Amino acid sequence: MDVKREDRVGIAVFLTPVLVLFTLFFIFPIIYLVVVSFVEWSGLDTPVFVGFQNYLRIFDDKVFIRSITNNLIWALCAGFVQVPLAVLAALMLSYKPRGWKIFRTVYFFPKVISAIALATLWSAVYNAQYGLLNGLLRVVGLGHLQTNWLGTLKTAFPSVLIYWLFYIGYYMIIVLADIQGIPQDYYEAAEIDGAGRIRQSLNITLPLARTSIVTCILLAMIDGLRQFAEVYILTNGGPANRTSVMVLYLYKEMQNYSYGTSSAAAVVLIAIGTAVILTIRNTLGRETF
Amino acid sequence: MKGRRRSAGSLLFGLLKWAFLIFLFVYAVFPVIWLAVASLKTNGELMANPFSLPAVWQFQNYKKALAVSGIARLMLNSVIISTAATFLNVLIASMGAYALSRFRFRGNQFLKVMFSSGILIPLNALMIPYFVLVNSLGLYNTMGGLTLVYTAIGIPISTFIIMGFMASVPEELEEAAVIDGACFYKRFFTLIFPLSRAGVVTAGTFQFLTCWNEFVYANLLTSSQAVRTVQLGIRYFTNQFATDYVSMYAAIIISILPSITAYVLFQNQIIAGLTSGAVKG
Repeated sequence: MDVKREDRVGIAVFLTPVLVLFTLFFIFPIIYLVVVSFVEWSGLDTPVFVGFQNYLRIFDDKVFIRSITNNLIWALCAGFVQVPLAVLAALMLSYKPRGWKIFRTVYFFPKVISAIALATLWSAVYNAQYGLLNGLLRVVGLGHLQTNWLGTLKTAFPSVLIYWLFYIGYYMIIVLADIQGIPQDYYEAAEIDGAGRIRQSLNITLPLARTSIVTCILLAMIDGLRQFAEVYILTNGGPANRTSVMVLYLYKEMQNYSYGTSSAAAVVLIAIGTAVILTIRNTLGRETF
Repeated sequence: MKGRRRSAGSLLFGLLKWAFLIFLFVYAVFPVIWLAVASLKTNGELMANPFSLPAVWQFQNYKKALAVSGIARLMLNSVIISTAATFLNVLIASMGAYALSRFRFRGNQFLKVMFSSGILIPLNALMIPYFVLVNSLGLYNTMGGLTLVYTAIGIPISTFIIMGFMASVPEELEEAAVIDGACFYKRFFTLIFPLSRAGVVTAGTFQFLTCWNEFVYANLLTSSQAVRTVQLGIRYFTNQFATDYVSMYAAIIISILPSITAYVLFQNQIIAGLTSGAVKG
């Protein structure tokens, strides 16, 4: 609708609350982080300008490098393992096999439970003495593989990462809905041309569901970059910082009253996030946001 | 010959498909079911065999869980904060969505893109600014502080979802109301808002789940038992219950019951919301 004179005030009144909240909680925080990343500050004393010192310090810190690496692995696995699994499941369910609605409901179920509850649950699964995983290994006769999953250097990070990759419900539902919106005529035409289901999926479904798939890849990768609760509960970054991630790092720096380095780490995280978004847009295409 | 080979192939394909679908199914529910069963055993039984069923169902684990964890209070806090933040969030987002989705003015497109881009900001990175902001507003360790933060962080996604629904209300309807002399506010409250109810409910359901499950800022912005939420409570279960695993499992089951109930009740809205939110665009 074109704006009429008498609507102007109304529009301004209605936009004010969103604008205020968005400025306070999205724009201001980013500017604030950039500023604080250039000072040395405990959060209590007077800030001192130190230039790029904080950035030099965190990039000199092996724990931070490890955290970035872990986050990148996490983001890549989320975008290119978790989402493809979701797409595969969506393709299968799009043919409405028996019970497809039940599958859809159950797949989404873990997303409803909080990350904290799920992580606590999985710490019970991984528990060295009476966990489900070691119990399962004993039952199937692979008892020699039993280990302290979260406490061993080699297994800790994979354990924290892998359990979460198979929770695909969120992305599966987004892609499935998109697939179900594709007009049936395309498939009928393909059928007449003798294209089988796999050909149909590759040539019709995937290209037409591209936007929602790209959206999922983006959401999943950002999710991989902002992990915190899972790691915090399962290992708190240990053993020997093997499972540390960027948000955990900046949280710990903040708890140590090192606001400057914490902010610098946050700025790096936001920059990596932005780089990921731009890369995906320029290679795979636009998402829906 | 060719026909037979194809049917063998499709049989194998079918088997693989069902194996895949069932694996994901079991994966999604089995740990929760295992935890629920374990929460009804004794600690001795759990240690002896993680898979056995309890000889006697130990319902007193739940009594103990309630007593030790103080979870009733935590749940009440979560209900208050999540409800208030959902109500405020949906109201503010609807107002903004109305102005943005139904009027053409300069800067409109820019604002839409700006708000939507908020969806992709890794919010967990903003701990220091949120901490400083909430502190300087005098809202540290208050339910009001958490409510404010939760209202704000859901603004981009809620506005995005509701805008999609509002944009699809036919323009003629609103023009007819204008001719009838309905002012801006009246058109919003009696026409556009009710007609986009589905979107509002969807955004609200999502917002509620986000608030209920939020941990990072509950952890950062509160310090006393009196304002703590359920999610924060779970974090302390490991300390509170020490080696009494079965009671801790019972407390975890109690803490996830409300979300499971909400999911069962609002399943259709949640699924519809996901699909409309991310697909329409």
